[in-house]
Amino acid sequence: MKTIKVTFLALLVCSMLSAQEDYTKSLEGIEWIKIESKADIIVRTHSEKQLRIKAKSSSKTPQKAKGLKLVGSGGSDNTDVGFYVVKEGNTLIVRNLRKWNNGDGEIYLPANQNISVTTNGTSQSDIRIYGFKGEIEANARLNGGIKIENVSGPVTANSLNGNIDISFADVNQGSPITVYSTNGALDIRLPEDTPTNLSIGSTNGEIYTNFELTFPEKNGLKSVSSQRVKQNLNGGGVQLQLKTTNGNIYLRKQE
Amino acid sequence: MEKNHITELLPDYLDSLLTETQNQEVESHLADCNSCSIELKELESIIEVIKNESRIVPSESLRSNFYKQLELEKQNSSKTIALDTAYKQKKHSWTNNLLKIAASVILLVGVYFFGKQQQVERSNEEIAKLTDQSQAFKQTAVLSLMGNQSASKRIQGVTFIEEFAEPDEAIVSALKDRMLHDENTNVRRTAVEVLSTFITSETVKNSFINALKTEKDPGIQITIIQILGKIQEKKAAASMQYLLEQEDTQPYVKDELESVLPNII
Amino acid sequence: MYEPTDEKLMLQASNGNLDNLKILFERHHMHVFNFLNKMCGDKMLSEDITQEVFYKLMKYRASYNNGKFVSWLFTIARNTLNTHFRRAANNHEDIEALDQKHITIDEPKTDYSDLHVALQKLDVSDRELIILNRFQEIKYAELAEIVGSTPGAVKTKVSRALQKLKTIYFQNT
Repeated sequence: MKTIKVTFLALLVCSMLSAQEDYTKSLEGIEWIKIESKADIIVRTHSEKQLRIKAKSSSKTPQKAKGLKLVGSGGSDNTDVGFYVVKEGNTLIVRNLRKWNNGDGEIYLPANQNISVTTNGTSQSDIRIYGFKGEIEANARLNGGIKIENVSGPVTANSLNGNIDISFADVNQGSPITVYSTNGALDIRLPEDTPTNLSIGSTNGEIYTNFELTFPEKNGLKSVSSQRVKQNLNGGGVQLQLKTTNGNIYLRKQE
Repeated sequence: MEKNHITELLPDYLDSLLTETQNQEVESHLADCNSCSIELKELESIIEVIKNESRIVPSESLRSNFYKQLELEKQNSSKTIALDTAYKQKKHSWTNNLLKIAASVILLVGVYFFGKQQQVERSNEEIAKLTDQSQAFKQTAVLSLMGNQSASKRIQGVTFIEEFAEPDEAIVSALKDRMLHDENTNVRRTAVEVLSTFITSETVKNSFINALKTEKDPGIQITIIQILGKIQEKKAAASMQYLLEQEDTQPYVKDELESVLPNII
Repeated sequence: MYEPTDEKLMLQASNGNLDNLKILFERHHMHVFNFLNKMCGDKMLSEDITQEVFYKLMKYRASYNNGKFVSWLFTIARNTLNTHFRRAANNHEDIEALDQKHITIDEPKTDYSDLHVALQKLDVSDRELIILNRFQEIKYAELAEIVGSTPGAVKTKVSRALQKLKTIYFQNT
């Protein structure tokens, strides 16, 4: 009797686990991962050479939905974790189908993967990216913020209303880094010895930094050209453009 | 034998590049002609000087930079090939390709004529021609970058154009295309800024006016409003008025419009 | 051991074997750099341009048309140098001013050899021929391809340029 009970329990645990299984997919022939979401999204690195989407208890299919498929604006759930994943050419599209309130996603990829993450949630839809060596594109189209840590770039980041925090481990000299926001503040950390051609400017916001920057005398005119303060740091290197319309810009030395 | 002829044979004589008969001719001439013997001695010594001139070594960063560029290119090369299948704006991709092909034709033809024209004496005109060829080089690079799948690479392509003294129609139209249709906001914004350096062109002005109607990013809207406001472009008034009347236009964009509009009407 | 030719390496590179470019870089970067340095007399600039040349080599590898590799390489090199001169000229620095620059070199400066100074006094096309033919040991046939001429004409030009050079050189020393 006892054994039966144990077996039963084991089976139960197994079936629960299988309902909670992560989704994985090979990255063979994939150059770019395009992630789209209306909810918070976290992208982390792992040592596997595949895509892994964490199954979340919060994203569990409700009892009533048994035998039904989750559908969203961008497709239907073909992963059992609330995502629609499809390969288009050399790009893998990874679309989070859940809405902001119950659908934050956690995605794992190899560190050298190129990733592009777009959120357009009306409420919180933050993008968080940790530890990548490949190219990173992050767009928070509506109200989300962006936090990117321990990366080397190139980074192309844009937000409408959210803040953008980026901390660089080192700076890839290959192609430009651009960080633009309309209403959000930028908080950027760079290693002190980073060679770069810096171009920094804000229409209505302020700029704070502990790098040695010299600003040309303001001539009282609000013009496009006065928005572009260009300066070489450490002899000059890759282009680094930081721009906002209304938000402040903080440029710090990496501690 | 003409003295001139001998003089021109001397370098090859020293390099032992002459035929046996030529060799004999030179040697018999040298035996008779004192000035040619002096010539030979001088030539020998200048060649010796050249040989002994030390070669300098470039700094190590040259190698490491190249290796870095190469690694990057290796990562990107497969991307470039598959570019059009994955690139979102399918309707533009064939034009992009066409431009790319056109640019590489210019490039190849350029290298060919580049050589042919070298016989012309050196002059400013020649240098101008040379630059036209390298412009073609740059053009290819820029167009191919602007078609890249990576937003950062497209921005790189766009900013390269700032180096062009007078970009031609293909470049300007590719740039306009980026400003109006690129899916990435940063690419569009960078394209606006680079295009603003060619603001004297009517096509560029008109494309800014068009962009005002289509662009949804308030940051870019403000940049364009400021550019058009600065040159007091009257043709822009209608587009600005339109934007001002739209409900979804952000309040701070409306503020900007209201401050600029009176100056240009 | 048999070493593959530049042409073979470049052809493979243009078909996607990018590592070959490392070998080509190792074989030729010193030549390109020294050619540029003798042409413009500016070490920093020469490094920058050398960098650009190999970058272009990599970027435009697909346009390599099977010709002599050194001809192609040096065509790119002089092309790039000329672009720089033109760009400098655009920045309100006249082409003539660039020539002036070279002349200022003959003020005693220990960095430059007598030969270097003499070279700077030749006009650009003569200087180029001598450097390519005598320093870089590029043969008449390839040289003709680079400057767009015939081997015979190039031979005559090199010989005349050498004469001019030695006249200048021996006057000064």
